[in-house]
Amino acid sequence: MPHRAMLYAGCFVCLLLCAGCSSQEAPDASGSPAAAAAAAGRSDTSQTARVSDEEFRAAWEQRRASGNLKTARFPMRSDGPASLDPVRGSTMYENICASQILETLLQYKYFKRPFELEPLLLAEMPVCSDDGLTWRFRLRPDIRFHDDPCFPDGRGRTVTAADVFYSWKRLADTDTGSKSWWLLNGMIAGFDEFRETQNQAPQFDYDAEVPGLKIISDLEFEVTLTRPNQSFLWKLAMFQTAVVPREAVEKYGDQFGLRPVGTGPWILREGDWVQDVGIRFTRNPGYREVYFPTEFMPEDVEAGLTGGQGKRLPILDEIQVVFFKEDQPMWLQFRSGKLDYTQVPAENFRQAFNRRTGRLKREFRDQGMTGHAVPLLDFIFRAFNMDDPLLGGRSDKSRYLRQAICLALDWDEQNDAFYNGMNVVYDGVIPPGLPGHPEGGRSEHSYRGRDLERARKLLAKAGYPEGHGLPTIDYYTSRGGNGKEQTEMLTRQLSDLGITVKAHLLDFSQLIQKVNNRSAQFFSFAWASDYPDGENNLAIFYGPNASPGSNHFNYSNPEYDALYEQIVAMPPGEERTAIYERMQAILMEDCPYAGSMARTRYYIVTPQLKNFKPVETFSNWFKYLDVER
Amino acid sequence: MWTYLIRRLAWNVPVYLGILLFIMIVLRVRDPVFARLPKNATEQDKADIRAELGLDQPFVAQYRDLLRQVCTLSFDQESWSHPGQTVGQIMKRSIGPSLAITVPALVFTTVLSVTVALCSAWFRGRLPDRLLVLTSVLGMSISFLVYIILGQYFAAFRMREITGIDLFAISYDPEVSGVGGMEFVTTVWPRYYLLPVLTSVVVAMGYDTRFYRAVMVEESSRDYIITARAKGAPQWRIMFVHMLKNAMIPIITRVATTLPFLITGSFLLERYFGIPGMGNQLLLAVESLDFPVVQAFTAVFAALYIATILLTDILYALVDPRVRLS
Repeated sequence: MPHRAMLYAGCFVCLLLCAGCSSQEAPDASGSPAAAAAAAGRSDTSQTARVSDEEFRAAWEQRRASGNLKTARFPMRSDGPASLDPVRGSTMYENICASQILETLLQYKYFKRPFELEPLLLAEMPVCSDDGLTWRFRLRPDIRFHDDPCFPDGRGRTVTAADVFYSWKRLADTDTGSKSWWLLNGMIAGFDEFRETQNQAPQFDYDAEVPGLKIISDLEFEVTLTRPNQSFLWKLAMFQTAVVPREAVEKYGDQFGLRPVGTGPWILREGDWVQDVGIRFTRNPGYREVYFPTEFMPEDVEAGLTGGQGKRLPILDEIQVVFFKEDQPMWLQFRSGKLDYTQVPAENFRQAFNRRTGRLKREFRDQGMTGHAVPLLDFIFRAFNMDDPLLGGRSDKSRYLRQAICLALDWDEQNDAFYNGMNVVYDGVIPPGLPGHPEGGRSEHSYRGRDLERARKLLAKAGYPEGHGLPTIDYYTSRGGNGKEQTEMLTRQLSDLGITVKAHLLDFSQLIQKVNNRSAQFFSFAWASDYPDGENNLAIFYGPNASPGSNHFNYSNPEYDALYEQIVAMPPGEERTAIYERMQAILMEDCPYAGSMARTRYYIVTPQLKNFKPVETFSNWFKYLDVER
Repeated sequence: MWTYLIRRLAWNVPVYLGILLFIMIVLRVRDPVFARLPKNATEQDKADIRAELGLDQPFVAQYRDLLRQVCTLSFDQESWSHPGQTVGQIMKRSIGPSLAITVPALVFTTVLSVTVALCSAWFRGRLPDRLLVLTSVLGMSISFLVYIILGQYFAAFRMREITGIDLFAISYDPEVSGVGGMEFVTTVWPRYYLLPVLTSVVVAMGYDTRFYRAVMVEESSRDYIITARAKGAPQWRIMFVHMLKNAMIPIITRVATTLPFLITGSFLLERYFGIPGMGNQLLLAVESLDFPVVQAFTAVFAALYIATILLTDILYALVDPRVRLS
């Protein structure tokens, strides 16, 4: 027995041992920050004292030598990104991580609401021809890729127009595992034909010309669209269109997604991404001379978010992002003071916020913390399959039935029961905060419930008084989260109308398969806007986008489609917003969906984290943050 | 013995091939292409993704490829949910953290449970025995998740708040992921792994103690025990030498059946404590229909399970001279 015990002890120690094994760039030719600000398209006139490259680097070296690097720790409630290759990325987590390292031509103004774009890699906003077809771009001359062994001397070279086109062509190459071709599909003259030809050829030729992509000089280029399209600019701020160097992609191949090279303010060093655990971003010492924004909203001034003015970006030296697969450890880690901010998990909402007022509780306020509510550009809905013989089609009978179902569902009850009343319930399909969203969330055209009396009348008009004669409706939803409980509520609400529902709880992959096959009769789904324009949401009802495209309703209405084609080319303005409202009225009358709801995410920020304005629409804001410990 | 082993191995080859075939068929009930479709996908996109995943190949070709990977022990297929990483790389980096929880947990649980079971059998029918049985039943009655949530809250969070002693980490830290060797044993393991191990031990002890107690009680009424008592052997010798040795077969059986599960880790512990182990990887792979990872994990697990059964037979023969392998 003693020998066996020693053997066990020896094995134990061995296993434990095994387990453990497991350039700075010259500033803009224009020189001063004010000129740089003007070049970057900022409308402010404030003057900022210039911080030279030498001063900037010296301050960083001094902090590093003294061991006083400015480091922040942020949480990410996920298993982390799968790949940081922009063409392979599609999730919010990939967006957050890739956006720190890679940069796009345009970016969102950090403080401005409603959202507005400004140049990032560009020297100025692109200029459009009178016919709305040709856009002319000019890159900043001081953009360099990160220093990396993929370059001949290990030093990042200047970004040129060819890099932009190369990066976009990667979206067209199916061998890259691209998930985001839809961004440019049908958008640029001759690009679809180029994609088809090159993907059929033995070798994808990145040097082959695309009629709509024209290089004018190293820093200037033109893009010709197939038809005027306002969403084009929004897409140029999405991380999937970020600019990457060909040298790095060719050198690292499949591994490029694990060690991306870009132009961003942060670099990813070898070993800094621990899969499933966390990722660390380190300051790019060669980041160009750019400064903290000077354009604020009044509430930002009130909240004291202007303190970064005059500081050169990025302000922090390192950012550690820790992945949390469950809510509790993230919340406890924040409560222990080991994170600089946190999202508030739903189950901890009442612990942190007063449910009635939405105000952060005193316990947290006394520690200097601040609470923030960030409305998401969400469209959560129940969808009718318009191809279904019972619920679908555009006959009066089926429309009355859909309208009755919509009126029987109580979104406010659902919001209270499952989301602490934190979400926003609204009419239409355009989320709050965007042009076209109905005032106060209410529209006269809406059939949003709950109004059982009206629902009963419509059900009777549909030929099913009190639900008599109506077959059981098959409802499909994801089994994740509280899907089961939400389904029970829906079943109960519809049973009040005499409608019987058979619920099918599926894994998300099964649900999407069912929806894409057009075999789900009635189902639960959600759409998160890709960019802050109602057009993005209206597109999911556009006939040609039917499943497996994003029009999972398989809705088809020639009048609606014609209006959609009209708005795609229209610049923002009252005329376009009026058409948005008209299109939503058509949808609300036809009822291909029942809805709507948008999530609100709550954040708590510690007093040591400075300049943080929580936002979920874009992700490259790490560079603006500062910590004071 | 060698003849016996070779015969058993030969019998197990078709079983093993059947397991691999079964898992491949079961996985393909759901089509992974739909979960990977981009926005506004077309039929061509579906075909492209199917080809990219290798699912356009005949089933036999896919089965042959899996067998090749198993035979050559080179799980070189790229994971579908971790682009740029092979299944082998994922397994290699995940197995260590899992074993750092499961192996100590198994050792602690077995030693403690057997000891408590012996004590219980010693006091059979008396108050200590009843208290130990009651505690075991109570321990078994509470969900694993409750232990994890409460353990994390009280031992890692509240203890630090109340006493200022920061003994256990709430969650794994990326900073320590590269630490190995003695430093791992002395600093990383106690801080990041000990609490999950203790949680696992507390949960498993209830089940194991009841089982081992039943074994000990049964052994205590055997003739050889009565003979030993009649010969005046001291009680401790009867229990720890004679009785424990004869109770080894059920103990070995129980421990051996647990061995293959050591590499699968515990996805609940791993998710809550942020440990990048096999359990979490397997869960993610199942959720994301990552066929290469699920298939490879199953292949390795099935091989280990078969090997463990054989090992158990050999151990029977070693601890009990009456058992002959023939």
